[in-house]
Amino acid sequence: MKQPIKTAIAAAALLLTLPAMAEVVVVANPKAAEASMTKDQVAQFFLGKSTSMTPIDQPESAPIRGEFYKKVTDKDASQVKSLWSKLVFTGKATMPKEVGDSAAVKKAVAADPKAIGYIEKSAVDGSVKVLYTAP
Amino acid sequence: MKKRIIASALAMSFAVPCAFAQDSSNVRISGFGTGALTWTNTDDAQFARPNQQTGAKKNPTTGVDSNLGLQIDYKVNNWLSLTGQGLVRKDAQNDFGAEASWAFAKAKVSDDVSFRVGRMGMPAFMISDYRNVGYANTMLRPPAEMYSQMLFNTLDGADVTWQHSYGDTTYTAQFAVGKNKTDLISELSVDARRITALNLVAEHGPLTVRFGRVDGRVTLNGSTSLAGLVNALNTVAAGYKLPSAAQLATDVDVKDKKASFTSVGASLDWNNIVVQSEYAKRKTDSYVNDTTSWYVMGGYRFGKILPYYSHAKLSIDGSPDNHMPAACPAGYPAACTPTIAALSGAVASLRYIGLGQGEQQTDSIGVRWDFRNSVALKVQFDHVRPNKSYGLLVNAKPGFNSPVNVGAVALDFVF
Repeated sequence: MKQPIKTAIAAAALLLTLPAMAEVVVVANPKAAEASMTKDQVAQFFLGKSTSMTPIDQPESAPIRGEFYKKVTDKDASQVKSLWSKLVFTGKATMPKEVGDSAAVKKAVAADPKAIGYIEKSAVDGSVKVLYTAP
Repeated sequence: MKKRIIASALAMSFAVPCAFAQDSSNVRISGFGTGALTWTNTDDAQFARPNQQTGAKKNPTTGVDSNLGLQIDYKVNNWLSLTGQGLVRKDAQNDFGAEASWAFAKAKVSDDVSFRVGRMGMPAFMISDYRNVGYANTMLRPPAEMYSQMLFNTLDGADVTWQHSYGDTTYTAQFAVGKNKTDLISELSVDARRITALNLVAEHGPLTVRFGRVDGRVTLNGSTSLAGLVNALNTVAAGYKLPSAAQLATDVDVKDKKASFTSVGASLDWNNIVVQSEYAKRKTDSYVNDTTSWYVMGGYRFGKILPYYSHAKLSIDGSPDNHMPAACPAGYPAACTPTIAALSGAVASLRYIGLGQGEQQTDSIGVRWDFRNSVALKVQFDHVRPNKSYGLLVNAKPGFNSPVNVGAVALDFVF
C-alpha cells in the first residue's frame, strides 16, 4: 500500500517539473502530405509567411507557447506579436487560431488535414503525426 | 448554492470575452494605437508628419504622433474574407479625424494566389501598409525624408498577390491597379488615376528585400497660387510673344502629369541585430521635384530593450528647366524684363515651397522597450537639418533655416 503512494508522489513530483523540460513537437494530421519538416519550414506557418497550412496556437499564458516560439522561430513573444501585427493590420493575414491546450490542438489537427500545431511530446498519440521535434 | 452561482457567473464573465477573443465566430476585431507627446526646441517652425497642417513646437503636443486604428475581419468562408479598417489621426485637417484606411474583399483562389477588390494600402514603401502601426515598427515614426515623397496611402481598385516558398525563401509578388484622391493641407487635394503598382518581396530567414514601383497620372486641385503662376506665365507668353514662358507654364502645372515612385528596401533581424533601409526615386513631369530619398536604421536588441540610430536624407534631383531669357529683347516694354525675372524667381522658389518639397536630413536616436505583452514604450530624439529654406518643417517664420531638435515619447499598443 505504501509503495503505490510513494510512486504517486514521485509521479506528481515528475509532473510538477515537467513543464520546464517538456519537449515540444510539431504535429499535423496523419493525412498531411509532409512526412517531416525543418525548423524554418515550421516557422513559416507560424510567422505568417506561408498559408498553405493552417497554424493552431496555444494560449499566451501557456508555457509551451513561449518555448515553441523561442525554439522554432528564435523569437520571443513580443517579437512574434510585432511581426504578426504587420500582417494583421495590413489585412494580409489573421492571427493563428488559438485553442485551449494540447488536447485541443490534437483535436483541431485531427479534424483538418491542413492544420499544424505544437504539443508536448508526451501528449503525442495516434490521432496526429509528428513533423518536427524541437531540440 | 448561492456561492456556486456567483462563482460560475464570475467564471462566465471571464470566459465569455476570452471565447470571443479566441475566435469562436468568424468575426475578428483588433486594433492598434499610439499615445505620444512630441516637442521641439523652437517656436519659429513646427515639426509635423507628412501632410499635417500644424506640428509640434516647444510645448509638447499629442497631435503629431498619436493615432488609433480599429480593424474588423470577417471570414465569409474558406476562400472569401472582408476587411475594414478605420484610423483616427491628424492628417490634412487641423483636428483628429477618422478615415477609412482599408475596406476590401479578399478571395484566396489557391494556396499561392489571392485577389483583392476595394480600398487597400498603396504598396509604395517597405512599411507602407503598417506605417501607422507603431507597435509593428522599430522607430517611433517613419522617416519623413522618404515617407513625405509619396502621399497616397491607399488605392481604390484591385490587386493580385502571389506568394510561394521555395526551400526556406518566400517570394511575394503583388500587382495593383486603381485610383486615389487624397486631401492635402490648405484645402488642396491631389488626384491620381491610372495607378499601377508592383511590389516584389523576398524573405529568407532574418533577411527581407523588396522592390516597389508605382506609376500614375496626378492632378493637383485647389492651388490658387499655382493657378496664378501658370496664368501669369501664359499671359506673359501671349503678351510678349515668349513661347518659353508658355512652355514653362505647361512644365510646372500639375494636371494629369506622369509621376512615378521607385524604391528598394531591405530589413534584417539577425542575432539581435536589427537593420532597416530604403532608397527611393520620385519623378514627376511637373513643378513637384524629382527627388532621391533614403534612410538607414540600425539597432541592437538587449532582451526587451532595443536602442537604434537612423539617418535619413531627402535631396532634389531636378525640377522643370526654365528656358525664359534673363532679359527681354531690345524694344520690348520696360516692364518686360522685371516681369519675367519675377516669374523666374517664383518658379525657382517652388523647389522649396509646399508639401514634400525642399531638402532635409535627420539623425535620430531612440529606444524601444517591450516592457509588457502587446505594449511598447519608445523614446526618440531627432536632429532635423533643413537644407536651404525650412525643409519639411511647417509654418516656419520667413527666412527660417536652422536645425531643429525634436523629442518624442510614445506608447504603442495592439489589441
